[in-house]
Amino acid sequence: MNNPPKLFLRFFRWYCHPNLIAPIEGDLMELYAERIEAKGKKKADLLFIMDTLFLFRKSIIKPASGGQKLNSYGMFKNYFKVGIRNILKYKVFSFINVFGLAVAMSVCMLIMLMLADQNSYDEFHKDKDQVYRIIGRPLKGSVPYATVPMPITSMLKEEFPIVEEATFLRRGFGGDVSYNDKKIELRGYFTDNSFFEIFSFPFVHGDPTTALTTPNSLVISREKAYQLFNTEDPVGKHVTFEDRGLTVMDFDGDRPPTELGQFTIVGVLDMKKFKSHLEFDAIASTSSLPIMYNKELLTDISDDWEYYWAGYAYVKLRPNVAADALQSNLNDIASNHYLNSKTLKNEEIRGFELSGQSIRDITPGMLINNEATFRLPEVAYYILSVLALVIMIMACLNYTSLAIARSITRMKEIGVRKVNGATRWNLIFQFLTESIITVMLALGLASLLLYFTKEAFMDLWFNKYLNFELSSSFPLVLLFVAFALIIGLAAGTYPALFLSKRPPVFALKTVGGAASKWGLQKFLNVSQFVVSLVFIVTSLVIYNQFKHYTEFEYGFNSENILNLPLQSNDPQVLTSEFSTTAGVTNVSACDYIPATGMTNVIELKNKDEDLDPWVLLAFNVDRNFIPNLDLELVAGHNFSSSKGESKHIIINESAVSKLGYENPQEAIGELWKKQNDESLKIVGVVKNFRASLLVNGDEIRPMAFSNDPNSFNYLNVRIAAGNPIETIARLEKKWETIDPVHEFEYEFFDNELANTNLAIFDIASIVGYLSFLAILIACLGMLGMAVYTTERRTKEVGIRKVLGADELKIVLILSKSFLKLLVISILIAAPLSFFLNNFWLNNLANRVNLGFDTIALGSVLLLGLGLLTIGSQTIRAARQNPIESLKDE
Amino acid sequence: MKKFQLGEFEEIVMLTVAILYDNAYGVSIKKEIESRLNRSVSVGALQSALKRLEDKGYLESVDKDATQERAGRPKRFFKITALGKEAMEYTKETRNSLWDSIPAISLDVKFAKLLNE
Repeated sequence: MNNPPKLFLRFFRWYCHPNLIAPIEGDLMELYAERIEAKGKKKADLLFIMDTLFLFRKSIIKPASGGQKLNSYGMFKNYFKVGIRNILKYKVFSFINVFGLAVAMSVCMLIMLMLADQNSYDEFHKDKDQVYRIIGRPLKGSVPYATVPMPITSMLKEEFPIVEEATFLRRGFGGDVSYNDKKIELRGYFTDNSFFEIFSFPFVHGDPTTALTTPNSLVISREKAYQLFNTEDPVGKHVTFEDRGLTVMDFDGDRPPTELGQFTIVGVLDMKKFKSHLEFDAIASTSSLPIMYNKELLTDISDDWEYYWAGYAYVKLRPNVAADALQSNLNDIASNHYLNSKTLKNEEIRGFELSGQSIRDITPGMLINNEATFRLPEVAYYILSVLALVIMIMACLNYTSLAIARSITRMKEIGVRKVNGATRWNLIFQFLTESIITVMLALGLASLLLYFTKEAFMDLWFNKYLNFELSSSFPLVLLFVAFALIIGLAAGTYPALFLSKRPPVFALKTVGGAASKWGLQKFLNVSQFVVSLVFIVTSLVIYNQFKHYTEFEYGFNSENILNLPLQSNDPQVLTSEFSTTAGVTNVSACDYIPATGMTNVIELKNKDEDLDPWVLLAFNVDRNFIPNLDLELVAGHNFSSSKGESKHIIINESAVSKLGYENPQEAIGELWKKQNDESLKIVGVVKNFRASLLVNGDEIRPMAFSNDPNSFNYLNVRIAAGNPIETIARLEKKWETIDPVHEFEYEFFDNELANTNLAIFDIASIVGYLSFLAILIACLGMLGMAVYTTERRTKEVGIRKVLGADELKIVLILSKSFLKLLVISILIAAPLSFFLNNFWLNNLANRVNLGFDTIALGSVLLLGLGLLTIGSQTIRAARQNPIESLKDE
Repeated sequence: MKKFQLGEFEEIVMLTVAILYDNAYGVSIKKEIESRLNRSVSVGALQSALKRLEDKGYLESVDKDATQERAGRPKRFFKITALGKEAMEYTKETRNSLWDSIPAISLDVKFAKLLNE
């Protein structure tokens, strides 16, 4: 039999429009047969090929859509259309779904932005995968320290071949640098040139290969270089540095300056270009240290294996060396120098463990002491993520429960689709399309909401220290879309499976519909309200705690007191100048501001030396301090000399009992000894007041005041109540005549005390915001259910009204099932929130009591909001004219 | 106003379908045009013209006579619809009226040549 070329026949069948295929193919075959007769097979084949090729034209080719093979495209179009129509038809439900999902998604997106920001740290170093920080753990199972003793670095570098480079950042470089007449503050470290082999901080000026090789060289940040030299070229300039004991992390804290000598600027770094866990204004060469040790300007800790506050050690491993090898080397060091050491001065350090931490694991990283910069530990992100996820799940549950509740309305459509041949998969796909359309709309709204929440978040107090930069990049946008898709699938899967399950006959005769699924519905609603109530109670507790702290009675009068850092000026000169200023009522001096986080300790030995020394809080004040802060002397007298009294101390009441006296009078005149055997006489006893942070402990710790003018750091200036701004202006003028270099700084004591509670206020606002969202979503869900049930029951309401039921009765009938749900939620959530909140409160000092009243208030709030939500629907339904609902049929 | 759209090839196809009357299907139309007008017609050109004319509503078709030599495929027979007839008449009339409006002299080629010289 003679057949035309198969390939071209198949090609023709592939492209030809299905309606034309049969007659045209017939024509082609007829012609082919005739041509074989007339012209032979070869010619016929050729002509056949020509014909099939000439037939390949627009009117013959099947369209891209609607063809049999691409059928799913048409179906998809239909799903999309039906989905959009459903969203537009049931506007209330669509709004509830879209809004709820959007709110929850915006929170999740905010946290994704935070995590993305944190993960962008330390990504710029060339060998970032080979760089580790050595961290220490003084006791098994305790929180580790980021700082380690200084000799570890040289040991690693010299004795272990796997280590390519090692460097040490010694703390203790912080103070004022001066050039000509300009003086600015620098905070940083001592380190060596290996630093630039390990890290890739970008140089603006200078040579990274030689920068810190010579003694007294200094590499400085671009901002500080600009402040100091303006537009001059900084490299090669000589500057003088005086150390004031400032560290990178400290917010204040001052020490009398020691001049460390002349430094030469050898390089300028652009610190703002990339994000790193290390921040500093300047780094000085380690090789300058021996000179300072010789002059006794600094303590030599280069061989001290026990001083683990010294600084940060970093190593770069050779290529292809794994972290395990480093760990075994560190274990060797730890066993040689701690566990089996014979020369340990401090026995407590014997269990000291060392380990390596990849620099990529530092931000975000585990909770660690002495971190180089202010950081939130990973745990904080976990907690935030869990809270956001809870909200997200609530919003998904809303979607699920509303979709199931409305399944009766959709049953007819499903039945018709099934009768027409839709498989279960088709229907599942259809409902998933709908949920994904909803989620995509929510994503749009969420991006808008994110814009505002981001602003609010950036204004929070702690962001001053965390420096979040929440910028979105293209991969992040993709991540958001992927996230939305996942949410769409999560929210839509159960309804899709549930709705597509029913056989068509059952689906078409709707009576009774989805009644059996009300159990699940109730469960979802109850769980949402349980979560909401837990959130409400938690935020109430946090707010109460915050209020408790801000209204705390410290036991001294901080009103109208200005605290001025002395900035190394003579306190006596300033005191005499300031106390003659108009508007100033009193001036006193002290070494730190009480109750703001700083404390000092002193050890007192019994005069007989037969007992262990007592450790007391130490506080250095002048004789004006006690009257200035309205502290009350219960026995003895105040310091009398204005020049300082090294032999006298004043103690507080709790020190009286700690030192073993029955009453304050007994303590007066008693002699004690300092560590250096100088004797001290107790001359007075003050009433207890609070000098440590409120979160640091319930008890007022025993305290001893001494009067040593050399250690004063602050002045406390009490000003008259009238016009503080004028008085401050006068003080500033006086300051400028005494110290033209440093700027006049002050802070109201009241503000400083309030600022210590800002962290808790931030937590309160975050949890408050999240609980607001939780309640909002739960109420939206309940609103949806209420709208739906009242709609379904309009006929019933109409008949009841015709038969004589009054409005109140109808409202009660309609609300009954919801009320039950609310009451069940409260019964579950009340004890749950009590236990959860007591769990964290128990770890807090000076806590408020979580009593019945807080939980009751939370429950009433929830009940009120729930009733308002249901009421809005049930009352409307009850008021409706029965004619409206009964007139048809 | 363009009331009826009929291209040159389309018009030929319409006329041939009319000529063949009961036996107008792909192969017969092709052969008829080829023999009468002495020009070759590709299957592609013909089929797409037929499809266009059918879409415009000038032709209607019916499938029948699946024979052995056509590998069991039916023939699609075409017939002119009332609209198609109207279109053909309209085209013919416009042509005629144009022919009628030509002044006799402009077709006298000899005379025109004379004028040019």
